[in-house]
Amino acid sequence: MNFWQLIVAECKAILADKAIVMTLFGGVLFYSVLYPLPYLYQVPTEQQVVVVDHDNSSLSRLVTRHADASAKIKILANVNSIDEAQTWIDQGKAHGLLVIPANFRRDLLLGKGSTLSYGGDASYFLIYSAVAEGLVSAGIDASKQVQLIGLLARGQNPQVAQQAVNSININSVPAFNPSLGYTPYVVPGLFLLILHQTLLIGTGILGAGQWRKPGYWQQVRPVTLVLARLSVFMMIYALFSSFYLGACFYWYNVSVLATVAEVGLFMAPFLLATGSLGIYLSSLFSRREFPTQLYLLISMPILFVSGFVWPIALIPQPLVFASQVIPAVPAIMGMLELNQLGAGWLAVMPNWLQLWGLFAVFVTMAIVAIARKQKDFKLIS
Amino acid sequence: MRHLFQREWKTLWHSPWQLALVSYIPLMGVLALWWLFSAGLPRQLPVAVVDLDNSQISRMLTRQLSANAVIAPRSYANEASAIEAMRKVEVYGLVVLPYQLKKDLVTSKQPTIDIRYNSQFLLVGKLLSSQLQLSLGEGLTHIGEVNLLLKGANKATVDVSLTPISNQTTALFNRNNNYVGFLVPPILVALWQLLSMLVFVNSVNTELIPQGERNYLAKNFWSTVWVKIVFYSPIMLVHGGFILMWLYHYLGLPIAGSLWLLVLAQVVMLSALWLLVLFIFMVMRDSARVVSFCTALFAPAFAFMGITFPVNDMPLLAQWWRLVMPSSHYIDSHVSVVSYGVGLPHVLLQISSYWGFLLLVPLLYILGRHAQKIPPQVTKTKQINLEVNE
Repeated sequence: MNFWQLIVAECKAILADKAIVMTLFGGVLFYSVLYPLPYLYQVPTEQQVVVVDHDNSSLSRLVTRHADASAKIKILANVNSIDEAQTWIDQGKAHGLLVIPANFRRDLLLGKGSTLSYGGDASYFLIYSAVAEGLVSAGIDASKQVQLIGLLARGQNPQVAQQAVNSININSVPAFNPSLGYTPYVVPGLFLLILHQTLLIGTGILGAGQWRKPGYWQQVRPVTLVLARLSVFMMIYALFSSFYLGACFYWYNVSVLATVAEVGLFMAPFLLATGSLGIYLSSLFSRREFPTQLYLLISMPILFVSGFVWPIALIPQPLVFASQVIPAVPAIMGMLELNQLGAGWLAVMPNWLQLWGLFAVFVTMAIVAIARKQKDFKLIS
Repeated sequence: MRHLFQREWKTLWHSPWQLALVSYIPLMGVLALWWLFSAGLPRQLPVAVVDLDNSQISRMLTRQLSANAVIAPRSYANEASAIEAMRKVEVYGLVVLPYQLKKDLVTSKQPTIDIRYNSQFLLVGKLLSSQLQLSLGEGLTHIGEVNLLLKGANKATVDVSLTPISNQTTALFNRNNNYVGFLVPPILVALWQLLSMLVFVNSVNTELIPQGERNYLAKNFWSTVWVKIVFYSPIMLVHGGFILMWLYHYLGLPIAGSLWLLVLAQVVMLSALWLLVLFIFMVMRDSARVVSFCTALFAPAFAFMGITFPVNDMPLLAQWWRLVMPSSHYIDSHVSVVSYGVGLPHVLLQISSYWGFLLLVPLLYILGRHAQKIPPQVTKTKQINLEVNE
């Protein structure tokens, strides 16, 4: 069997296996739709808030209207007491409350200052930050209005008054994901992880079904078999990667800063390392259902340890060190820097070399493991 | 009935993987995921500070930043190197204190302080954005006061013009915005659901009888299912209980309601999960495909729970898909009990949201009847197949 015949045989073995076809082709398509589905609208808007207005003055109504005008907040109702607001929140009807104290307007006009209290349901992270941001900016708006009225009432000339109200600008701007969208935040890392996990599952199922049975895989040299298998999976995953990093990124509005050549150059050792790790691990499985189960269970830890959901600086060091042998971990961080943050090739060089190093180690392990499997099989038969 | 239990126990004992799934894998998974997030509060996040003014005021603002627990300012000589550091994720944010900041402030020219935060890391970015503004705002208020006094404004004008309305923001239910309290419970519930699903799938898969092209089910299939439910539910509930004890007893996260209500919610969640898994099993009747399909279905459960991203802002299709997953129903009860401290009536009301799963019962009966009809002509070839396989 020459190399080309082997490649054809590998392709046939993959396509004939319903479980692999379902996981690879079905899974990759299915996940590309299902995972980003909840986040399609990107930014949380119109969070429900109730108002407890103890003042009921023109100014307190102005604050309420300002809050309602904010895109992040929807004022549901004006309730009479904090207890009543509590009931609304307990029943899940509202996620935040705004309390305007009694004598709010009078105190402000007397120059005494007053305090607006906001509460947001911090059981839900984005809801809380949306409520807090919306209410704080409404408060600041009202505050400026009052400042201006106050200064004018004290006989300041309007120009100086304007100046005093806005003496310093703080210009805070998001970089790299300017819309603050949730999809561009989650998708780049998640999609690399899906490619990683499905590649492991594919090679895992294929190997788990083969090593104990007679077939072409027992008749070729281990090196040839590993190289042929890697080539076939690389072809398939070149296609999948183009779909995920090309079409899907475009579809989900993920920013893309690297060139196609850079992305391809970076993906190569990632896919090679993952593929050879998969082939090596496949020699450890005795049944075809195991790879899917094992890789499913470890996918959440890998996702969180890779450092884009939760900052790496806060993850315990031993976990960070241990995770460096998983190809997805350096790949996700490197790819984010390269493609989403535009760090340039030199910055991701260490990750790239690390992936090549992993590939060298895993491919050797895979060849040794397959040689041993073939020897075991010959002894049995 | 007793021999069925013994059979179940024997199957479990002889399957190292299944044994691992009900014993040490859940423990390791729960502890590993908790350890990952154990820092709880994001602290000392590196931020680049480019001080182009190098005045008393700019140094005061830098000190103000380092006083904030969330921010760890790092000095950079120029913007280019700071931007480079941000692209390499060495820092998560960037503050530029402009040239002649002090002069502009004193001469009331409205200088601008630029803040850039890395919103590719949404969680860190949003937090830093608000903390940076807060810290700088405090420092600037003080300067503004001096500034106004210098311009001859009287003390009363200064006070009212600086902060007439103060804002007091309270994070309800998770007072210090602890991420262990907010993120870890749903993650562990998602993991628990995956584990329970796998355990049950593996267990029912052993009941498939291959006959020719398809797999069939034995006549006593339903009694074996009852045994499996009675056998595995308590085991998985022990793990569910361990998660609750670990979080709310050992780690002492605040909980307003009673843990027993959560155990009740877990029992119902498991029942719904068994129904759903049985349904998929009946439809597919192929061990590898059942595993693949259940995996695909339950892997994204965490995203659909609505903890990280609000349910109201999900597209309608996602809201429907969310209802298919038992964990989404459970998490609503979890939050209500833990945060709002609701009682039994409210939890029972929430549990009624599972009603859709009951529609599976008649379907299961029909599918089951169908799957138990083993075609007689293939029985013989089936036995031969089995012998060959063994």
